[in-house]
Amino acid sequence: MDAELPYSLSNVADLPGHEDRAWNVAWNPVKPILASCSADKNVRIYAYTEDLRFKHLDSIPTGHAKTVRSVAWAPSGQTLATASFDANIGVWEKESEVDEAGIDQGEWECISTLEGHETECKSVAYSCNGTYLASCSRDKTVWIWEVLPDAEFETVSVLMEHSQDVKCVAWHPTEEILASASYDDTIKLYIEDPSDDWFCFTTLSGHSSTVWSIAWSPVGGYLASGSDDKTVRIWRRIAEHKWECVLVLTGHDRSVYSVSWGPGKDDKRKGKEGEHLGWLATTGGDGKVMIWEVEEPTVKEGETPSMSKPPDHRLVACLNAAHDVHDVNSVVWCPRKGYEDLLATTGDDGHTKVWKIAPSA
Amino acid sequence: MSTRGEIFNPNPVVFSTAKSAGRRSDLSPHSLWINDDSGSDSEVEDKIEPIDQDEVFDLIRSIYDPEHPNTLEELRVVSSPQIAIGSNHVKVEFTPTVPHCGMSTLIGLCIRVRLLRSLPERYKVDIYVKPGSHQSEHAVNKQLNDKERVAAALENPVLLDTVEQCLSNVRGNNPLAP
Repeated sequence: MDAELPYSLSNVADLPGHEDRAWNVAWNPVKPILASCSADKNVRIYAYTEDLRFKHLDSIPTGHAKTVRSVAWAPSGQTLATASFDANIGVWEKESEVDEAGIDQGEWECISTLEGHETECKSVAYSCNGTYLASCSRDKTVWIWEVLPDAEFETVSVLMEHSQDVKCVAWHPTEEILASASYDDTIKLYIEDPSDDWFCFTTLSGHSSTVWSIAWSPVGGYLASGSDDKTVRIWRRIAEHKWECVLVLTGHDRSVYSVSWGPGKDDKRKGKEGEHLGWLATTGGDGKVMIWEVEEPTVKEGETPSMSKPPDHRLVACLNAAHDVHDVNSVVWCPRKGYEDLLATTGDDGHTKVWKIAPSA
Repeated sequence: MSTRGEIFNPNPVVFSTAKSAGRRSDLSPHSLWINDDSGSDSEVEDKIEPIDQDEVFDLIRSIYDPEHPNTLEELRVVSSPQIAIGSNHVKVEFTPTVPHCGMSTLIGLCIRVRLLRSLPERYKVDIYVKPGSHQSEHAVNKQLNDKERVAAALENPVLLDTVEQCLSNVRGNNPLAP
């Protein structure tokens, strides 16, 4: 850790258990649990208390024939989706069966298997209202499924806009806009037209290699992307359907595998000039976790606000070797109120680790 | 993957091999670099002995070409000067025998798997075709260095089996020869 930076990341939990690399981790948006998934084909669920004690709660032997690459919780917190290299998506719910001791004895059950992709499924994500589930694959497509009652899913769109493997999908936090990131080095954004057909309304180019991960800013209006080209780009919405790259962050020595944008948690920031856009966490093959504070550009007296000024940004924390010598594959801020300073990571060592960001001593 | 009967380079040039430097040449495919039983011993040992390019070459020289009963060393696909090594990083450049070689991705994958199984965990490995040696150089390099694509490829049982055969060090055991 760099002692000169204003914040530090301290380890809160180290959760081993996967027998092979862990690819992805996701915090339940409502309940105090989180899920990790792995090449060992399992999902591990961990529970935590308010005083941040973490323990392993459940293992789901998913029955996927290959690696489970990605997990995503529905906004209700009731449902979990898994994306696998076997090309399928699993949808899981747990029946609550709380016994006399207050312990939930329910089992995780697969309530639906979504088939359609022709090759490995890489990512899955629920829209902000839980209405849609998006998935993507090496088959170059992005699928949008409508989530219906009684574990029914209807394919609403199969989008074939990318020219290569699609690595990641992410929904806007408040609007129904979908982003996809691809091996073709671009990001595409999709919305519904007036006749409810989904289409790609813009392509964001600029990265010089595969885009591995995308994350929307919590306040909307910005998108961050991490790429094989070792950079993180910030894109700003300059018109309803127009986005442009306003910042390129360097610092990683190898591919950036994951980015996550959280609202940040810091009372000191109140009253500061410039709208605080939160904290962007980035990580990848160099094993580092970097935290960037991003703000709307400050406008000096006498200056007109210029839409083309990049956001103010600074590196506020940097953690080396988060998973020792291993690649870190995923970093995610906790979405729950009161826990905005918690971060989870998973890596090639099969561990899930939880970190807390705090001002440096 | 090549179809039956179509060999990309029917007449490869075969070179004589240099004598092995006497290092461990009998590694089984799944062994760690240091042939000790306990993981902790190997950690101590590899802190003492940094690995050099000749040792990396020793690991990959006897990988079999998928199409011919010759090793990558014999076909000059790999050579010691084409390996760069830092304290935590290895870069291997390999030269396909012909510019349109469709086996290049497979050869690169074999090199990667051999090194993955043999080098200490701290090593990041980058594998590239020698610049100018392949007509789809960028595409081949991109696939070989995409961790997710490599992982998914190795979950394909047919492909994994082909890789294992190239790595099995048995002369004459050629998976794709007619």
